[in-house]
Amino acid sequence: MSWTSAFAPVLPEIWLAAAAMALLLLGVFQKEDPFARISRLAVGALAVTFVLVVGRDDGRVAAFDGLFVVDEFARFMKGLVLIGSALAIVLAEDWLVKERAQRFEYPVLVLLATVGMMAMISANDLVSLYVGLELQSMALYVLAAFQRDAVRSTEAGLKYFVLGALASGMLLYGASLLYGFTGTTGFEPMAARLREANQLPLGALIGMAFLIAGLAFKVSAVPFHMWTPDVYEGAPTPVTAFFAFTPKIAAMALFMRTMMTPFGDIGPAWQQILVVLSIASMGLGAYAAIGQDNIKRLMAYSSIGHVGYALVGLTAGTGEGLRGVAIYLAIYLAMNAGAFAIILGMRRRGQAVEEIPELAGLAKTEPLTAAGLAVLLFSLAGVPPMAGFFGKFYVFMAAVNAGLFVLAVLGVLASVVGAFYYLRIVKLMYFDPPAEPFERPMPGAVGAVAAASALFTLLFFAWPAPLVAGAEAAAQALLRLP
Amino acid sequence: MLYGLIVFLPLIAAIVAGFGGRALGDRGAQVVTCGALIVSALLSGVAFYQVAWKGQPVTVELLTWIDSGAFDVMWSLRIDQLTAVMLVVVTWVSAVVHVYSVGYMAHDPHIPRFMAYLSLFTFAMLMLVTSDNFVQLYFGWEGVGLASYLLIGFWYHKPSANAAAIKAFVVNRIGDFGFGLGICGVFLVFGTVEFDPVFQTAPGFAGKTFEFLGMKLDMLTVICLLLFMGAMGKSAQVPLHTWLPDAMEGPTPVSALIHAATMVTAGVFLVARCSPLFEYAPDALAVVACIGAFTAFFAATVGLCQNDIKRVIAYSTCSQLGYMFFAAGLSAYAAAIFHLFTHAFFKALLFLGSGSVIHGMSGEQDMRRMGGLLAPLKITYVLMWIGSLALAGVPLFAGYYSKDAIVETAFMAGGKLGSFAFVMGVAAAFMTAFYSWRLLFMTFHGQNRHPDRHVIEHAHESPAVMLVPLYVLAAGSIFAGALFAQAFIGEGSPIFGASILVLPGHDALAQAHHAPLWVKLAPVAVGLAGIALAWWMYVRRPDLPGKLAAMHGDAHRFLLNKWYFDELYDALFVRPAKWLGHALWKRGDGKVIDGLGPDGIAALTLDIAKRATRLQTGYVYHYAFAMLIGVALLVSWYLYRGGM
Amino acid sequence: MEAMLGEYLPILIFLGIAIGLSAVIVAASWVAGPNNPDAEKLSAYECGFEPFSDSRKQFDVRFYLVSILFIIFDLEVAFLFPWAITLGDIGVYGFWSMMVFLGVLTVGFVYEWKKGALEWE
Repeated sequence: MSWTSAFAPVLPEIWLAAAAMALLLLGVFQKEDPFARISRLAVGALAVTFVLVVGRDDGRVAAFDGLFVVDEFARFMKGLVLIGSALAIVLAEDWLVKERAQRFEYPVLVLLATVGMMAMISANDLVSLYVGLELQSMALYVLAAFQRDAVRSTEAGLKYFVLGALASGMLLYGASLLYGFTGTTGFEPMAARLREANQLPLGALIGMAFLIAGLAFKVSAVPFHMWTPDVYEGAPTPVTAFFAFTPKIAAMALFMRTMMTPFGDIGPAWQQILVVLSIASMGLGAYAAIGQDNIKRLMAYSSIGHVGYALVGLTAGTGEGLRGVAIYLAIYLAMNAGAFAIILGMRRRGQAVEEIPELAGLAKTEPLTAAGLAVLLFSLAGVPPMAGFFGKFYVFMAAVNAGLFVLAVLGVLASVVGAFYYLRIVKLMYFDPPAEPFERPMPGAVGAVAAASALFTLLFFAWPAPLVAGAEAAAQALLRLP
Repeated sequence: MLYGLIVFLPLIAAIVAGFGGRALGDRGAQVVTCGALIVSALLSGVAFYQVAWKGQPVTVELLTWIDSGAFDVMWSLRIDQLTAVMLVVVTWVSAVVHVYSVGYMAHDPHIPRFMAYLSLFTFAMLMLVTSDNFVQLYFGWEGVGLASYLLIGFWYHKPSANAAAIKAFVVNRIGDFGFGLGICGVFLVFGTVEFDPVFQTAPGFAGKTFEFLGMKLDMLTVICLLLFMGAMGKSAQVPLHTWLPDAMEGPTPVSALIHAATMVTAGVFLVARCSPLFEYAPDALAVVACIGAFTAFFAATVGLCQNDIKRVIAYSTCSQLGYMFFAAGLSAYAAAIFHLFTHAFFKALLFLGSGSVIHGMSGEQDMRRMGGLLAPLKITYVLMWIGSLALAGVPLFAGYYSKDAIVETAFMAGGKLGSFAFVMGVAAAFMTAFYSWRLLFMTFHGQNRHPDRHVIEHAHESPAVMLVPLYVLAAGSIFAGALFAQAFIGEGSPIFGASILVLPGHDALAQAHHAPLWVKLAPVAVGLAGIALAWWMYVRRPDLPGKLAAMHGDAHRFLLNKWYFDELYDALFVRPAKWLGHALWKRGDGKVIDGLGPDGIAALTLDIAKRATRLQTGYVYHYAFAMLIGVALLVSWYLYRGGM
Repeated sequence: MEAMLGEYLPILIFLGIAIGLSAVIVAASWVAGPNNPDAEKLSAYECGFEPFSDSRKQFDVRFYLVSILFIIFDLEVAFLFPWAITLGDIGVYGFWSMMVFLGVLTVGFVYEWKKGALEWE
């Protein structure tokens, strides 16, 4: 076996891990404040990784005896994750400097988490699944507590860590049950065993239930979502942004591959669970967000709701459904990046503010920002012709075509309820007397991200073909069972 | 071209005056509309000569309106003899009223709007009479309804005017509902709504029946009754007459044009137009005659006791329309149309004359506050006499010819129906004469009883622009009967040609000339008696009416309150409908739909939101516990299902 | 059943020898060693803490920092033993895998050293 061909599929991950470590050493040896430089270099490293990931087009390749697989699906999801990570670093820079938390470990931790997420996306075995998941989680625990002098941040880190450990335990227990009842940890052999079994071993099903519980924690689906509002509120805002739109994509990708590859043939067995998780997430996301005043907490519930919608597509389990989820995640990334960019720009008298009433009358003081945020909120609410509508449209259509009418109807109802709290902010911005204006100008990078994502959500309907085509290829890759 | 101009000139004038009123100004709007109407009136004179006199009906196709499957409707103008007569009536009275309005509405701030409405009405009425199919007829029918609504409510700041406008519209809708069903029935039975094919094939459907709710119903009878329902609404026949007296809230020229001369006669026109259908539905004809005769009598009794000058004339109109209907019901369509023709002149004259009185009395309409107007309003007095003589059917005046013919027809038709109509007609003729002269005496004779001396001193004759139209109408009231009697109802009825169908055996009108002398004299005699009685009671012994009213209090109140029709409808329909509406609004919509719907869902949502928020306690062990419960539920589900 | 128990026999022997040996050692030191205790000598030693006291007590976080850093290297050594034993079977691939692992650990070590995590004061 030639070494180059053996390691070629993993090259982006190896490169990124090496880059992370190199940046760690570079940062620790640099005399003057290394934060800005390391941030730039980290973004550069992510860009190179993106090229390495997307630049290759060699279908499905596996490495490490099938533990690690790279296909169209992995490329699509990794592309999203890399964009998300890069945005997280770009958006964070100014905020961390102003909050005097500009430690260079932030970009390095983001890079390490990204390596973990890429490993998750490519995981084709329970062991590599766990390793990727933990690599990602460890970095995220630290990031949640990144403002280690702030009580809320450390509380967020601790809660996330403790509950994350519990979830990991469940996942591991499920993995060991699965290994015990199928005799393998590899996804494809496991699929073969389950396919050949006359009767599904109950133990394997229970193992799958535990596995789903662990994965549901990572995507923060109800009832494994409880950490989300507290952690989102407590963590530093750029970290919250990162949590909202990057690890969630990776975890969702992992969820999809885990459901489709080893359990692809026993769809009905997990669909009934996912239906419940999906409905509960959509419902709770819609209802609980109504009572929130803190915008980060609101975004936490919003993300729970959006996971519910994405799960609708996964529950359908068809190519159409998977394509819907892929499109949904891409649009979700764009919407949340813009929304968080604007949230990060909310500063007043040297303080970051994150209460929703502070946005009152924004349309009068800053019409452009208000318009951008309004577009993003409409999109999050799923109002046509914003991108968010198409995301929901694809998953709901998939659910309807898969015969999951109740799920689709409840989903639409939940998004009606959900529209209330998004539109409440729009109403606040446009019809209430103005609050004190924010510190301006907005940092250039943040403003650019906000503008770009608002334009993307506004104009997506004009040219959706590339994204849809990519999502279609990703979905087909996942469906093509070996 | 000629016929198109007649119909569309008023529309153009209405559009110009209505939308360009600001630019044209009051005078401009008056010139445009009056000019258009006078031209239209002259042209329709030509049309009358060509079509009716020479007997050359024409049909002008304009364009396709609806072409949907088997349903095919054209916009086209059907100008036959019947239409020609109506064209003359409508355009001449309308032109006269337009000119009169220039003077009458001189002090109104919304002259262009008023003139535009009048012209719009005229256009709709012309569309109605020239229609070549039922749908176009319906278009004109609704158009005049709309214009009538707008004009009754012209003084929109008066609540009573608004109420009257709504009442007129709603009552008419009841009739129109039947009319619409009738048109549907026509299409269902004949497969077309064009007049010619329908009328040509009508004999083939005579006596055929269809099944409805287990009853065998005669097709043509049902259709004719439904169509007649529309006619009842539009022509204010009992029991759909209640809107007409209230419609007097509109300006007086409107009353003259719409609620006396033209629109209210649309029902008579409809029955005449559909004579080829009605002739094959004898039961429907009987209903028409019955309703007409009863209305003639009923409205006359109510007219006896009214004190509002315009309401007296309104009930008189109602009564005269009753004459027309029972004539039509006895197959004397020609007599009905002839009475329509003469009635248009003298009733418009009476209305405009009373308008002149009201104008002179600074807007006062109550006859109890009038009297002694003979001196200041001499010309009006003479004109009102002419109108009343014509109305009462005094020989040589227009009404004599038409009314006599109708009464004689009723007698000659014989049978229970004919006798009933005859008795009612003669009784109504007596009362007509009585209340007409009561009106004259109360208004012009004796002392002026108005409490405000100012008004009495200010009482004045109307300007020439109002009097000249009255002269025209007065001439019509005197000569229209004598000139046209032979043509309309003479032997052989030459003027209507094929436009009206009378089956052999239904020729009571032709027999009318052979009526006994006493029958011919009866209407005239009772009319003169009525005049004499009025003179006795209101000039000779002015204390008598009060005594009589006191003596027969109940009867007087019964008549004064119009047989309590309004109260009856109020109790039977209005109150229950209002109660139902209120209940549906407060309870149905407010409590049930809003309560369970928008409001309830919103409250529920907030409640759930509060609970969902409370789930988040902030304690790690609660969160961990929730996760454990979650996973336990997932596992129990599989255990419960026992594998797949 | 017999066969399975037979497989566990060496463990039983191992346990017996271990218990016996430790008993002999403890007994020998108790018999042979000098025995003059004082209060300080009798108290248990554990990272500078009182072994029996209120658990909700402030402590110096540096103990934990050091111990956590120690555990990483402890585990590294635990990982090294099986690697060393099977090195012959896993060949060059296995060798370099461990080298990469050690390299990563070294990067972490360099970082913590430069950060000053190993300095007590």
